[in-house]
Amino acid sequence: MGETSYMYVEAAKTSDIAPGGMLGVKLNGLALTICNYEGKFYAVERTCGHAAAYLDRGTLTGYILTCPLHCAQFDITTGEALSGPVPEAPDSKYPDPGDPRLKTRGLKVYPVKVENGSILIEL
Amino acid sequence: MNVEARKKALKFLFAPLVDKLGYKFHPAEEDVDFLLDAEVSFEKQYGVPYCPCQARTKDRAENMKIVCPCIPFHREHYDAMKRCWCGLFVHKDVTDPSKLKQIPPDKFRKD
Repeated sequence: MGETSYMYVEAAKTSDIAPGGMLGVKLNGLALTICNYEGKFYAVERTCGHAAAYLDRGTLTGYILTCPLHCAQFDITTGEALSGPVPEAPDSKYPDPGDPRLKTRGLKVYPVKVENGSILIEL
Repeated sequence: MNVEARKKALKFLFAPLVDKLGYKFHPAEEDVDFLLDAEVSFEKQYGVPYCPCQARTKDRAENMKIVCPCIPFHREHYDAMKRCWCGLFVHKDVTDPSKLKQIPPDKFRKD
């Protein structure tokens, strides 16, 4: 059986993301969101586990990332889905975000290290 | 979804909000745990962490007034009781919440 090899890839500079901020990046074909939680960096997949919106356009409150589209929330340290979407607005012309066919799954998290002011992500 | 992780997240999100309103979590950890458990259950069912101790109506706008923490929508009433309706939050200066009494909304009179 072949061994899977992982490597760290530079994703951004630490100065690119202020504490409480996020940045969407694409690395080796993978779309990721890098989060700065109190000076520590975390990387999760970029698209929401509910309806695939870009999470870096949402909000980061401490370790909790809120999706900009339907407000599903995730723990950036574990990738765990903390809550699903908000309910459908009355008389909405859009599909119901709470439709049971749209389950909210957790996010994949990627190991991160910082070296010489660079954020490196293991892919 | 993990109930304990969601309860921890709700505590994390609510604490700074109620702090600015002059409130804190009820000092009895067991009570907080019980009430948050109910809120997480509502959130799973309806997508919204409603107050566990207030009845919902068929009016969505009215229901939005009991989404936790609902202090801003009932400020004078809760300030008079020094607690929110379910007791998840109490005034920061409260040391013994057992002495606090609920005042039914229809008995609460603004001065």
